[in-house]
Order: sequence, then C-alpha cells, then structure tokens
Amino acid sequence: MRSGYAGNESPARAESSVGAISHQNTAETFTDGAESRPLQSVGDHSVGVSLADNTLRTSVNSVSAAVGDSGDEPTAEIVTSTPTHVPNEAEDVSRPTDDQIIAQENSIRAAEAEKRPFVGIVEPLSALEEEYRQGSAVFRDKIRSLEMQYGSMRRTRGDGNCFFRSFMFAFMEQLVQNNDIPERNRVVTCIRQWKAKLVAVGFQEMVFEDAMEIVIDQLNSLGTAESLSVAQLEHNFCEPMLSPMIIMLLRMLTSAEIQRRSDFFAPFIMGMCDDEVSVEQFCRRYVEPMGEESDHVHIVALTNALLVPIRVVYLDRSTGAAMAGVGYDSAAINHHDFVPDSLGESPTPVNPRVHVLYRPGHYDILYPLTVTAANSTQIASC
Amino acid sequence: MSLMASADPGVSAFPDGDSLFAWLGTIHGAKGTVYEGLSYKLSLKFPTDYPFKAPLVKFETGCFHPNVDQYGNICLDILKDKWSAAYSVRTVLLSIQSLLGEPNNDSPLNAYAAKLWENQAEYRRVLHKKYSELQK
Repeated sequence: MRSGYAGNESPARAESSVGAISHQNTAETFTDGAESRPLQSVGDHSVGVSLADNTLRTSVNSVSAAVGDSGDEPTAEIVTSTPTHVPNEAEDVSRPTDDQIIAQENSIRAAEAEKRPFVGIVEPLSALEEEYRQGSAVFRDKIRSLEMQYGSMRRTRGDGNCFFRSFMFAFMEQLVQNNDIPERNRVVTCIRQWKAKLVAVGFQEMVFEDAMEIVIDQLNSLGTAESLSVAQLEHNFCEPMLSPMIIMLLRMLTSAEIQRRSDFFAPFIMGMCDDEVSVEQFCRRYVEPMGEESDHVHIVALTNALLVPIRVVYLDRSTGAAMAGVGYDSAAINHHDFVPDSLGESPTPVNPRVHVLYRPGHYDILYPLTVTAANSTQIASC
Repeated sequence: MSLMASADPGVSAFPDGDSLFAWLGTIHGAKGTVYEGLSYKLSLKFPTDYPFKAPLVKFETGCFHPNVDQYGNICLDILKDKWSAAYSVRTVLLSIQSLLGEPNNDSPLNAYAAKLWENQAEYRRVLHKKYSELQK
C-alpha cells in the first residue's frame, strides 16, 4: 500500500505531505522527512490519499509554506487521526488466525451448498438468464449465445464434488435415455478392468468394491425389465450414502489414472501447486479427498480413465473469444473438449458425450439442443 | 480388519467394547525418534458417514508434541480437509506415528513444544519428564 502510494505521487507532493504530518506531530521531525515516513505507512490508504490531496495545493510552494498554511486546514484533523491507526499490533492479537478464517469460510460455503440438492431438476436456460438479470452484460450476452446451443441445465451442489457428480450423472442419464447398450457394455467392461489397476496403485479392494458393484449393477439394469429410470438415477445421486460412494469411486479412478501415467501428468501438476508436490502427494491432497475441486488435470484423467469425451463450456467474464473467420465476438462462449487420447486419434470428430457448464469454481450439467457435429478445439487431450 | 491381522511395527487398534463406531488404538514411538520407547493410547470415533468423513482421533494419553493440544486433539490434515475414503485405521495410525517424529512446526497447537523441537536433547528431556508425570 505504501509503495503504491509513494510510487504514484510526484516527489513534490510526497515531500510536502510528509512535511505536513511532521509539523502536526512534533516540530523537531519536520526537517527530517525520513523519520516521519513510518507514520505514513501505518495510516491507511485513504488517509494517505487525502493528505496528498490537501497538500496538493501547497505543493508548488516550499515545504515551509505548507506548514504555515496547515494550521486551520482540514489536514489538521486528518493528521491527528493518523496516530490512532498506529496500534495495529494490538488489533493483530484479537485477529482470527488464518485457519479460523478458512474454517469459517468453509462452514459458510457448506451451509450455502446444503441448500441445493446434490443433483437438481432440469431447468430451462432462462433460469440462468434470470440469475444474471442484474449482473454483468458479458454474462447476459454469453447466456444468449449459450441458448443457441443448449436448451436446459441441471444444477449440482457446489460442494467441491460438482464436477464428478455432474459428469457421472449426465453420462448415466444419457445411457438410460438412449438405452445405449453398446456404450453401457463398453463402460461396464472398462470399470471392471479398473479393479486391478486400483489395487495396483495401493487402494484396498474392500474400500471401493461396493461402490463399483453399485455403479455396475445400475448400469447393468439397462435393457432389463427393471431398468434404471432417470427418476431412480436422480434418487440415487441424491441419496446421502450412495451419492458419496459414487464420487469416491470416481476420485479413486482419477487418482489411479494420474498415478499410472505419472510421467505424463507430472509437468501439469508441477505448475498447479505453490509448493513442490509429487504426483502421489497431489493425488492424496487434491484428488482423493471429498470436496477437493476439480481442475483440468482431474478432467483429463477421468476422461481417459473411462474413455468418455467431455465438453466443458466456460461462462466467465472473459471477452473476445476468437471466432474463426469472423474476427472477435464478445459474446462467444469458450469451450474445451476433453477427448480421451485413444479416441482423439480417430479421423472423424469425436462428439462429446457429456456437456458441463463451468463457472469459475463450479460445474453444472448442460443439455444440448440437438446433437450437432463437434466443432471443437481438441486441446485437452494433448 | 487388516489392522488387527497385520504386523505393522508399533501401531494397533481394536473396537472399544461392542460398538464398532469407537475404537482404541495404541501407537509406539518410532525407532530413531525422541518418542522411541514411549507408547500412547488413542481413541477413534467413527461418524455415521464414515468413510466419507474422517474419524475423530484423539490422544487419550497426554502427548507432548507440537501438533497435539492439551486435550489430545491432533492437527493433521488427513484427519480434516484432506481426509479421503482411501485411508484406513491402519494408515491413520501410521500417519500419526510418523507425525510424532516429524512434526509440522509451522502451525503448532503447542507452541512451546514447537520451539523446543530445535533442541532435540532438551526436547527429549522435557518429553520424558512429562510422559512419566502422566503415567502416575
């Protein structure tokens, strides 16, 4: 704050404001600008600025002129109030610790999150528009662009598990709705193959086998007389015991995929954390614990673990997304397609199976209006 | 189950009475650390949504350590926000055992212990004194 202030002022202004402070406090320090500087730094920014403004008028004169004028100036009030800011150390004693602040923020977030079901109902995109009615024009424009491609959405609870939950719900819902038996067979086989790979990276079978069987049983019910319905799926994903089991399984798959291909993921992980963490530590701290938010590393890993292509549509404040051949369109929506490596090599474009809406810090489910050919930037599969 | 059957050096745990939601554990200080030769009792209480929430783990034997407070509460990330269902009673106890020998002195619950840690000889003296006082 201090350096910002000092840096923005011309030397003349800075000097005269220092002089004004010195005069009001002790006459001796007046000639010594350096000694009075700490006073400036303890005062808060607004005090510093008003001092500068008050003394601006005198800055063309000598410093002593500023002193002579300041007797009946408002400066006097401001300056005498400055020392009351000095005992900052006393405030620090009663100040909550960082841990306490984080704990409080987390509890507020948890309380907010619990107001929303794990997986909400299908809503038209106009509900999103309503949310930003008072908001920034960038968002409103982008939502209108979004409405060209997507018809509806489902909100998910913002408890840090929203990516995994949105992904799995949307994926399973699509299988149910299309009664997509070939894809069901593929993914069931894929999940079964993960059993050995999870054990190989150190997960105990006892921990994940129930979750795995539940997911497989649900998928296997497709095409039978007791086929899973969307309503049943909604119920399962909101059930307080089942829902976290499914999330846990996905977190373990993601973690195992990252660890299995640690050479590939290590460079990405290195850039994500402040402190140097190993791939294994990253998984322990940022992938496996419930509530840890998902980033591109998680998405790349999960899309490869289950071989399901995902499109993430970004609704944020950024403007000027490049439109091929059209120049720039401020309302254009960015999206990234996460395509499994093995599918990315196919000559035909890969259609994403799951669409999620990303707003900084949160993922919800999006439903495309119609299935259109993917016109995507396949950057994430690297 | 793997815990009761396994032969990990220095940690053990059993259900406390009939309830499977409350366990008692024992940790022996690891060899080569100032805690070598000392043993500690801990209680583990499992919430109903375990394993999605961490068990509540406390030292029942008073423990002089930078990351343990006077009530036996332990400051260890995996027992809080970094808990995951992949952890078991065994891995929790092993983590606490390794915490004994490798405290995180940057965020201490016991500032005196954290400060003293630099001087291992003095730390050992105070630790053993406090330990023997608690045994009486």
